Amino acid sequence: MVRKLMGGKFVNTAFCIFAPDGKKKLTRVGRSPAMGFGVRQSADPDPEEVKKVNARVIDAMYGIAKKYPPQANLAEAVVVDFHSFEQALNVSSGDQRLLVFAVATEQQHATLKRKMQKVANHPDVIGRYHFDFSSSTDVRWSEVVDGDQAKSGIFIIQSDEFGQKGKVLAELSLNSAADSIRAVLAVENKKYAASETRKHYGKHVAKGRRTGVKYEDAMPWGEDRDGDGKIDPRRQRRRR
Amino acid sequence: MALLMVSVNARGPRPTDMGASPQEMGGSGVVWYTTWGSAVAEAKRSQRPIFFMAAAAQCGGISGVF
Repeated sequence: MVRKLMGGKFVNTAFCIFAPDGKKKLTRVGRSPAMGFGVRQSADPDPEEVKKVNARVIDAMYGIAKKYPPQANLAEAVVVDFHSFEQALNVSSGDQRLLVFAVATEQQHATLKRKMQKVANHPDVIGRYHFDFSSSTDVRWSEVVDGDQAKSGIFIIQSDEFGQKGKVLAELSLNSAADSIRAVLAVENKKYAASETRKHYGKHVAKGRRTGVKYEDAMPWGEDRDGDGKIDPRRQRRRR
Repeated sequence: MALLMVSVNARGPRPTDMGASPQEMGGSGVVWYTTWGSAVAEAKRSQRPIFFMAAAAQCGGISGVF
């Protein structure tokens, strides 16, 4: 999708606002919201310029939002799901949020997702956790997670520093009521918040390099700025 | 506005230039959809536009960071 938006190029960041149909573009495509809205900024902007650019972008976003007032109850919003458990674990680590992972049969998913709306969209919960539902590709999920695990249930998982392993903090039955799930989440999130500090991006990456962390998935990492369909070779560091 | 950030694997900004998120640990942050399908489903349901942002949950193969 990034390639399609960026004229065949594959780059680190891409931005666009789409109409609710997911097809019509409401802004230009750019590598940042400012570029998408056509707001110019210098190559090395000072804090005052950044503030002004951000204000113009926010104004433009309000302008679009006014044209599209919500037409449905936000308490019934679709609950987030990931492509895979591995992705959920990594993103939860990156965002430093607990992961709520529901392991159920495919037949149970529709009912479970409806029930989880009452959990995920609650004001005490929204934006604090990630949610994922097991799929056929997640059969080996328990191999990267420590702690007791039943064959099915709702697992509250803390992802590790590099998002490749996890720990089960609490486990609930699939039949648990929404308010019971929220209560357990609140307890675990409070403990988690007290025990963690925000990662420092630069230190995290440096530690990962020192300790040999290597994350790979279906997509190669890197950029294809010339749009030839191949990831560009990494630039060599100059020796001092 | 429904927010979608697609997790992609690509080279990011210089890591040394980036620090820590100022967001409170355990606090409420951006609610984002991690798949295009779920974002479009919610956008159609609520008739809200989609803020599409591609990002990577790794830097040069080092996972666990945005």
